[in-house]
Amino acid sequence: MKHKGLNLFIYTCLAPAVVLFSVFMIYPTLSVFRMSLYKWGGLSAKRTFVGFDNFKTLMGDRLFLKAFQNTILVITIVTIVTLTIAILFAYILVREKIKGQNFFRIIFYIPNILSIVVISAIFSAIYAPSEGLINGLFRMLIPNWENIQFLGNQNIVMYSVIGAMIWQAIGYYMVIYMASISSIPLHLYEAAEIEGANRIRQFFDITLPLVWDTVRTTLTFFIISSINISFLITTVLTGGGPNGASEVFLGYLYKQAYTNASYGYGMAIGVVVFLFSFLLAAIVNRITKREVLQY
Amino acid sequence: MNKRSCIRQRLSKIVIYIALISLAISILVPLFWVFTASIKENSEFYGNPWSLPKGFHWQNFVDAIQRAKMGEYFLNSVLVTFLALAILILVSVPAAYVLARHDFKGKKLFNILFMGGLFINVNYIVVPIFLMLLGWNRTAMGLIGRGIFLDNLFVLAVVYAATNLPFTIYLLSNFFRTLSKSFEEAASIDGAGYFRTMISVMVPMAKPSIITVILFNFLAFWNEYILALTLLPGTNKTLPVGLVNLNQAQRGAARYGQLYAGLVIVMLPTLFLYVLVQRKLTQGMTIGGVKE
Amino acid sequence: MRKGLTMLLLVLVIAFGSGFVANAKVLKIAGLEGGWGTAHWEELAERFEAAHPGVTVELTIERNIADVLRPQIIAGMYPDVIYLSVNAVGGLTDTLIKEEVILDITDFLDMEVPGEGVKVRDKIIPGFTDTLITNPYGDGKTYLAPLFYSPCGLFYNADLFGEGKYALPQTWEEFFALGETAKDDGIALFTYPTAGYFDAFFYALLNVVGGPELFNRAMNYDVEAWSSPEATRVFELVGDLAQYVHVDTVAQANAAGFTRNQQLILDNKALFIPNGTWLPNEMADAPRAPGFEWGFTALPKLTDDGDAYSYTFFEQMYIPEGAKEVELAKEFMAFMYSDEAAEIIYANCGAVQPIVGGSDLLPNDDANKLYYTIYDTGAKAAMGGFAAAPPVPGVVLAAGGEDILFGTVNSVVNGDTTVAQWQMDVIEAVGKIKAAMDAQ
Repeated sequence: MKHKGLNLFIYTCLAPAVVLFSVFMIYPTLSVFRMSLYKWGGLSAKRTFVGFDNFKTLMGDRLFLKAFQNTILVITIVTIVTLTIAILFAYILVREKIKGQNFFRIIFYIPNILSIVVISAIFSAIYAPSEGLINGLFRMLIPNWENIQFLGNQNIVMYSVIGAMIWQAIGYYMVIYMASISSIPLHLYEAAEIEGANRIRQFFDITLPLVWDTVRTTLTFFIISSINISFLITTVLTGGGPNGASEVFLGYLYKQAYTNASYGYGMAIGVVVFLFSFLLAAIVNRITKREVLQY
Repeated sequence: MNKRSCIRQRLSKIVIYIALISLAISILVPLFWVFTASIKENSEFYGNPWSLPKGFHWQNFVDAIQRAKMGEYFLNSVLVTFLALAILILVSVPAAYVLARHDFKGKKLFNILFMGGLFINVNYIVVPIFLMLLGWNRTAMGLIGRGIFLDNLFVLAVVYAATNLPFTIYLLSNFFRTLSKSFEEAASIDGAGYFRTMISVMVPMAKPSIITVILFNFLAFWNEYILALTLLPGTNKTLPVGLVNLNQAQRGAARYGQLYAGLVIVMLPTLFLYVLVQRKLTQGMTIGGVKE
Repeated sequence: MRKGLTMLLLVLVIAFGSGFVANAKVLKIAGLEGGWGTAHWEELAERFEAAHPGVTVELTIERNIADVLRPQIIAGMYPDVIYLSVNAVGGLTDTLIKEEVILDITDFLDMEVPGEGVKVRDKIIPGFTDTLITNPYGDGKTYLAPLFYSPCGLFYNADLFGEGKYALPQTWEEFFALGETAKDDGIALFTYPTAGYFDAFFYALLNVVGGPELFNRAMNYDVEAWSSPEATRVFELVGDLAQYVHVDTVAQANAAGFTRNQQLILDNKALFIPNGTWLPNEMADAPRAPGFEWGFTALPKLTDDGDAYSYTFFEQMYIPEGAKEVELAKEFMAFMYSDEAAEIIYANCGAVQPIVGGSDLLPNDDANKLYYTIYDTGAKAAMGGFAAAPPVPGVVLAAGGEDILFGTVNSVVNGDTTVAQWQMDVIEAVGKIKAAMDAQ
């Protein structure tokens, strides 16, 4: 009797979410999969089924491979740098006696609530060659300073985009790690101190293992948000240029689906993006698996 | 020995402060810059972008409100955002709760499904969603004589809620998992049913997490552009769509001051909400750490 | 005030729909709100309504018109007239052309311009309706109607040129020689807003080097034309020019920074910039060097007795297949070529219609006059663009900047791509598109 009531409760709770999710996410995603098998301009009723042709073309598409490469670069560097800085700052803000701790916590999170348009405008002014903030600072310090072409040099532009992304993300992840670190019982640190372990040892022996599960989860977030935010930022900041040097997955998807009237091809890119991010997250999740430590 | 470690400690403190302060400056200066840009005259934008404004050109704000039709669209944005938040919370909290705290058949499947949803990007499912609603509209046309699924703020709010379900459920169920079993046991002994246990015991405990989720989704809904543009093809628009009117017209003079004023106006509610809820944020963002 | 009232009425009529006036016709016009603004559209609509009792003109003129129209078109809700040019952001018109869903309006050219007793065909300046933009399929039929034309060429600070100053170069040789002189003075010879602005530049240059014959073959995806010695010369000229581009140009050659490149001219940091007649208006608020005065010239000639060319940029309007009020749409378009309409347009926003005597509307003291007389002073006109071709996934040859033909200029300037490689990439892309055309 009770069991029956429980089942009713569970399915009543789940049903609305499952329905909304199926109708507005699963079904459209399946549509995307289907459209990736068509040649379609996107506007008229003229569609031709082409099987996996779009995917075959994709494998030989140099610009797509460039976008793929850039996306991987973004995911790797943004994750490593942001994670390192965020976790260190979180550790410092929770464990060290810092004046203005609250102030720093509040300020560091702000970039995350700014819209991407604002962030892009900010970085456009920071990276500008002659009048930008960074080149301006260097010119004050070093006479005859030659401008760094943050958005012009094809070897640098991707790192400039990455810089903006890290700036935007640090506070967000820092707060996540702070939540996790502050739930570690104090007596563990006290015991370590008695044993003579310094702060660095404490970080690696206590903090990191105990927040490892949180770190693993954020790795998935990094993958998802890197793909999305790199698109939003490059759209405003560089338009994918110069000459495709800062093209990323979704930017290229848009260009092909709309500008190049190849909607089916664009959706094929969408399918690859979905599968790639899903698989990457699964692999990362697998190889970072450790014994869960209890305290 | 003692003295040396003392110096070293001092030194490390200094390094820490330098790092913290530099990051804070790197955030505060650009933020300040956005505000100063919004009160600059148009001609001031062609020189050094970092120069201070020559005066307070408040007219930018008036022009921005008029040209982006903010008066007209503000209410729409508020309505859609709050509706979407309400739907999202109503739908996601119970789902996250049972996924986190109950065992049942198919639980694993649902977990994987919602998890997979995290990887779906709105940017490429927006056209299929539009086509689907269009189909519904045609059916509605046949049945009741008019299409009701497009140009409808409520439908837009539902789509907002639906597309943000995976992340919200993920975050909330992570939080629910961290709560101790003893609360439910106590409630059960008191004779509370499942619904009552969830509503009056567990949900209040998840408040910080729910507040966090509200902040995240508020930011997402308030700034959303592509869905709002596509699903509201008529004259009803939201603020971010209206902001397009402030962009530089092709082959036309830019009005930078108005653009920044518009951005600042749209940004203010988000800053306000953040200041309001920032205290709960650290508690609310507990994820991953499964502990009982 | 009167305008406000009419607008209010218009809004009310739209709001309450056609239910009020049972037999009323509604003409839906959708278009881009560009630098010209919207005032002229409103007045044109008003005049058209006055001349056509029972007709209501519904205007949708938006900055993001491509984004706005895309879902509507998918839904089958077509406007009757679309004003949006080929290569505009969003690629909507290009897609409609590729999908062959634009109405053939050749017969509209034989309509009479209202109240003038002249055929539209004869009112439009000769040449404008023979281009690959207006007749994209090369079948002699017109699909897109030209409007708002503007000569493109090189803009400069006239104050720097003249007696005792620099001499305005007539040939490419002189042009590069000036580049050396200017370099010694700390000024770059050249800059460009974004790589997309190379379209007008490159098309004019194809004409300068190979004449209209080479240009036409090139625009029809003739692989041999693209690999001919003349074409190679064109690529090499751009490659030589790349040596003289201002160092900050590429970093600013994007939507967020292109006005900074235009500012380089006003600050005397670069000498020439390719652009169209809208530039002075676009930069009207910008500070400038003392004595600054806009100058405008066609592209230099190859030799002293060669031809100078200025590309004529014009915008387009068209009727999509699926439009409900086709006849009314054509009438409106015919009205657009009347003297009355041209005057309204020029008075409201300064755009010039491509009609015979259109530039005579410009008062003599108007700065614009100088630009429109460029063809009277020796420069030949180049017009058009690539012919319509089926989309080839992954191959974006020319689409306003981030593409193989123009986007690569950024790489050439940076030294990341050689001129030879650039040309090879273009030839490869042209070949793929040609193959797709032949397969159709």
